[in-house]
Amino acid sequence: MVSLLKKVRSDPYLTINIVFAGVILLIIAYSGIFSPVKNNYPVTCFHEQITGEPCVSCGLSHSFSLILRGKFDEAYEWNIYGMRVFLFFMAQLFMRILFSFVYARNHDSRKQLIIFDIVASIIIFFLAFHQFLVYIIKYS
Amino acid sequence: MEENVKKSSGQNLGIAALVTAIVTFVLAAIPCVGLIAIIPGIIAIVLASVGLSQASKNDSPRGLLVAGLIIAIIACMISFSQIFVAGKIAEKANKWPNRIEEIVNDVQSDVLKDLEDANVSIKVQSGDEKVEINTNVNKKDREQTLEDLEMDKKSDNDSATVTISIGK
Repeated sequence: MVSLLKKVRSDPYLTINIVFAGVILLIIAYSGIFSPVKNNYPVTCFHEQITGEPCVSCGLSHSFSLILRGKFDEAYEWNIYGMRVFLFFMAQLFMRILFSFVYARNHDSRKQLIIFDIVASIIIFFLAFHQFLVYIIKYS
Repeated sequence: MEENVKKSSGQNLGIAALVTAIVTFVLAAIPCVGLIAIIPGIIAIVLASVGLSQASKNDSPRGLLVAGLIIAIIACMISFSQIFVAGKIAEKANKWPNRIEEIVNDVQSDVLKDLEDANVSIKVQSGDEKVEINTNVNKKDREQTLEDLEMDKKSDNDSATVTISIGK
């Protein structure tokens, strides 16, 4: 266990993977703890507060919570892009765990693995967030 | 041993900067929380800059640090652009100027209403002597007074007419 921790700490890629996995787990915990019924989310939309108009990402927290609870139809009603973004985080969690194992076992193809990870992550990110980015570009 | 320390100098800062920068980038891409992303973005830039200065002193690898710095700068730019996004949406929705005008009008009408129906009470007390003046500027009372005055004027005019006819 100690040697594994040392191995993780000595390798930046593994450290980054573990930190990201932790961040994604925190997002899942946030969606699970706060309830869409009680509407007790601590994060509120800045755009809505400033302009009074809802933005394209409004209802994302509700959507995540409802997806976690298996209410997919309601999740779509809250935010139509909620499922995409949620799947992005799930895919990232899966990739962090999988790539860490592959990286630890294959010493020869580490560089290729990192390049594949970066490219795949960028593609998945744009697939999930492109509507938000289009919205930002459109109005800025 | 010393060479290893030299090589890993700035590496931990690089990891921290890269992680913070990527988290900032994801946050900046979400319009709801995009504005807050500027804070971790600045933290990431600072971490990467400090790491880069350490790395350049010890001649250690800078890949992570440069990647962290670039991603943080792009994320900060996206986050900063959210200010313009908010401005444009407000402008499009015609919210800000209208709201300010509405607020001013509301305050003005409230003040006028308060003044119209105000009851003024002045009390002056000096030792045992006490003078109290009570008056109201009620709109209804003022209208009544005006009507009374008009009626008086009218009756005066009527009497004047009568006087003239007698004169003929």
